[in-house]
Amino acid sequence: MASLWRKLTHHDGNGWWNLPHTPSNEPNPPHEGPIGGAWLGNMWRILTHGGVSHAGPGFYWLVGLFLSIVTLVEVWLFAVEGLGSWYIPLLLFLSLLKFIGVVAFFMHLRFDHRLFTYLFGASMVVGIFIFTLLLLLLEFGNQPPN
Amino acid sequence: MTTNALTFPRFFPRPQSETGIWGWIGTVDHKRIGTLYGITSFLWFLIAGVEALLIRVQLASAENTFIGPEFYNQLFTMHGTTMVFLVIMPLSAAFFNWLIPLQIGARDVAFPRLNALSYWVFLFGSLIMNAGWLTGDAPNGGWFGYAPNSGVTFNPGLGMTYWVVGLNILGVASIAAGLNFIVTIMNMRAPGMSMFKMPVFTWMTLITSVLLVLAMPILAVAGIQLQTDRVYGTHFFNSLAGGDPVMWQHIFWLFGHPEVYILILPAMGIVSEVLPTFSRKPLFGYPFVVFAGIVIGFMGWFVWSHHMFTVGLGPAANTAFAMSTMLIAVPTGVKIFNWIGTLWRGNIQLNTAMLFSISFIAMFTIGGLSGVMHASPPTDSQQQDTYFVVAHFHYVLVGGALLGIFSGIYFWWPKFTGWFLNEKLGIANWALMMIGFNLQFGPQHWLGMDGMPRRIYTYAENMGWEGSNLAASIGGFILGFGILLFIINMIYSRMNKKIAPADPWDGRTLEWSTSSPPPVHDFDEVPQVKYRDDFWFKKHPETISEYYHNEHDLVVEEDAPVGADDAEEHGDDHGGHGGIHLPDKSYYPFILGVGIAIFGIGFLTNTYVIAAGVPIFIWGMLGWSMEPVNDPT
Amino acid sequence: MTQAAITEHHTPVEETSTGLNNRKLLMWAFLGSDVMFFGAFIATYLVYRGKSLVGPYPSEVLNIPITTVSTFVLLMSSLAMVLALHYVKEGEKNKGTLWILVVVVLGAIFMGFQFVEFREFAHLGLTPRTNIFGTTFFILTGIHGAHVTIGVIWMAFLAYSSNNGALRSDNALDLEIAGLYWHFVDIVWIVIFTVIYLISANDAPPPGMETITH
Repeated sequence: MASLWRKLTHHDGNGWWNLPHTPSNEPNPPHEGPIGGAWLGNMWRILTHGGVSHAGPGFYWLVGLFLSIVTLVEVWLFAVEGLGSWYIPLLLFLSLLKFIGVVAFFMHLRFDHRLFTYLFGASMVVGIFIFTLLLLLLEFGNQPPN
Repeated sequence: MTTNALTFPRFFPRPQSETGIWGWIGTVDHKRIGTLYGITSFLWFLIAGVEALLIRVQLASAENTFIGPEFYNQLFTMHGTTMVFLVIMPLSAAFFNWLIPLQIGARDVAFPRLNALSYWVFLFGSLIMNAGWLTGDAPNGGWFGYAPNSGVTFNPGLGMTYWVVGLNILGVASIAAGLNFIVTIMNMRAPGMSMFKMPVFTWMTLITSVLLVLAMPILAVAGIQLQTDRVYGTHFFNSLAGGDPVMWQHIFWLFGHPEVYILILPAMGIVSEVLPTFSRKPLFGYPFVVFAGIVIGFMGWFVWSHHMFTVGLGPAANTAFAMSTMLIAVPTGVKIFNWIGTLWRGNIQLNTAMLFSISFIAMFTIGGLSGVMHASPPTDSQQQDTYFVVAHFHYVLVGGALLGIFSGIYFWWPKFTGWFLNEKLGIANWALMMIGFNLQFGPQHWLGMDGMPRRIYTYAENMGWEGSNLAASIGGFILGFGILLFIINMIYSRMNKKIAPADPWDGRTLEWSTSSPPPVHDFDEVPQVKYRDDFWFKKHPETISEYYHNEHDLVVEEDAPVGADDAEEHGDDHGGHGGIHLPDKSYYPFILGVGIAIFGIGFLTNTYVIAAGVPIFIWGMLGWSMEPVNDPT
Repeated sequence: MTQAAITEHHTPVEETSTGLNNRKLLMWAFLGSDVMFFGAFIATYLVYRGKSLVGPYPSEVLNIPITTVSTFVLLMSSLAMVLALHYVKEGEKNKGTLWILVVVVLGAIFMGFQFVEFREFAHLGLTPRTNIFGTTFFILTGIHGAHVTIGVIWMAFLAYSSNNGALRSDNALDLEIAGLYWHFVDIVWIVIFTVIYLISANDAPPPGMETITH
């Protein structure tokens, strides 16, 4: 468990989803960035080993494509009837995916110093906690404990 | 270096003068901004004090007709609002400004111009909030502005609009200051000063800043919602259209409880500096004090509904918040025991600063304990809206925050000014304040238990409340005389200057290593830090082995000496400051502040005024962003 | 260990205790602050969801297809933003300027969509004063729109700088910070699109309370 957590959170280790990492002020070495030169050819290496560079345009296009697809799926879910109580959790999950896509890759949190993640993450945690608590309070606060 | 940088036409040259009104308006020096904060908030303190005394005169006897109910409502509203937002917060900000760069060994804050902006926005916001006194309709809905009483249906006129607009402008100032200090403390520390070598006051400032940055936006939301309800006819708190006044309470206290810790944490930081210095011992359990502060800062978010136990949130909600409220007393208690542990077997020097700090512990403990009392919902239902609550939060805010701040004033005054405050007058000041304060707020516990409600402008004769109220009023005036004595002390000490050396108290932290008052550039040479309380161990190296037992503690990170090279690197750029790199003065913070103030006035009057603010705002923004921090020489 | 790791990739100009740039740290802290700001508005919206006493109700006015397009526009502006930053950092001035302009144009299109949407709603009889849905909807999306507007102005300024040669690879941080703001506005919209549009668009009026007949 601890090692999984480490893989998920550790930036410069070799976590399975870790993206290549170089200082963002240094240019990518040619053909080595995520989707740097060779398109899908490099994908496996990038996803498994990480490389030596931060993301390049190709990777950003890919993230953009991913965001668009998720949005389409969301709208498709809207059109589909009969999801019942799964509808809202599904939508929240999908928008969480988009959120992570933008924050981690477009905002470079994945490539950047971890302090930024902590700073932003801490306010997200506090915000989500208190506002969820507020909603729960107004929804269920009146029920007697049993 | 920048060949192609954009420039914005300058309508007048950069401020150069060090003195005079333009020197102050253009200043970006953290010490001068701290002084401005201090003076402004002290003036508001006197005004809010007079408001309190008027309240006390009115309540001194039963069925008094000294002031009417309308004026009474305005008085207690503005007394509360002023004391919270215009006195304790900015007085703390004055300490932040003065001390943080000095304590962490920096030459200024991270964003000097933003710092100046914070001050100007604060000043204009405070003026707008108090503008109601001039037009005769000062805010009158309480410092918490509960809807729907603060809504336009029950509170027509501009009163609460001044309050909302003023608060939102003050929020901008607070957020800007909070962001600035977060970055300053994270990024501007002297080489070798890791986070756990920082002085406790710096730690408490960091936590307070984080709370400010996260809590003030919630107040802004509450303010915007109330403002649109009042002015544009929306329905956020209008129960006739499905809105819920309880929502106001939730949003306000979501902000309001972290705010309580914003008020008290700086004072806790001050006390944590004063006690070790005059006990001649390091702070007992430094990591515990710091972690207790962090825990308070985090848990402070999850207790807000204890302000609303009697609203009828339901038993589950009340139980949960009762428990979290009782839990938050634990880290607070940890701190109190650490302070007592610091005093224990110390070589105690009882001067004014120390007396204030010790009485802080005592008074704050009383206030804290009465707070734990109404953490229990059944008890709270008895105490809600009575003078017991008034007594509680005055013990916390006056006995806590204000005594802490006075302790800090006496402690750091020689550093700020270069001369001492008179000790005898200081002790008299302390004694009067303590007597007056306890006489004023002690009996209010009994009054509250006896059922006297808050926010009533008078009471009937046969309630048996006259004696305690009279005592409280007398206490109020004694407290007032205490403050008066402080002013006399300032004037007297200024006339009979007793020059202070750089390190008058044998201090522990870096601010005592530079001259009193510090030079513009703070430190001739950026200090290299090796230990917690580094300055003390530099002076008394023989005590190192007493506190650092094993070799591991002695290892210093092999940092590149970051700031030290700075002076040399930039030496050529600025011969004027003896080769030290300082930000140039700027008028743009003031201009931008004026723009924001005009927006505020526009929300109070009409839309065309907002349009008038736009060019000034844009001028300030563009001029600021295109103005280099330092002109090339 | 951390010290070594940090000094490895700090920006060359600023030397700070953490090795991180002051302004970038400020922007991230500010975004944390803005999280609470929007969080409080979104929480208000959710608390008041379905509490309207009179119409029009969400299902009668919300137009998912059109909003999908505007959401797509804003997402793509985020993509353009990150590409612009990439090219500015690489020192490719023309490509950089072009992509910043794309951000400006897409942002402006989004604002246009919002303007049209607001006008359409007003036409259908929904204003901030109509009911609690109107109140929460207009204030939340309006505040978001104000953020977009500020971002568009900021980006236009940066496009001008880039074209002028004042924004180069050595001060690309100016663009990066503006970009952080822009992406943040985008993620707020991601949440708003889900919470207000997709989730609430099914909130039909109570039986017999329909106000609009299409």
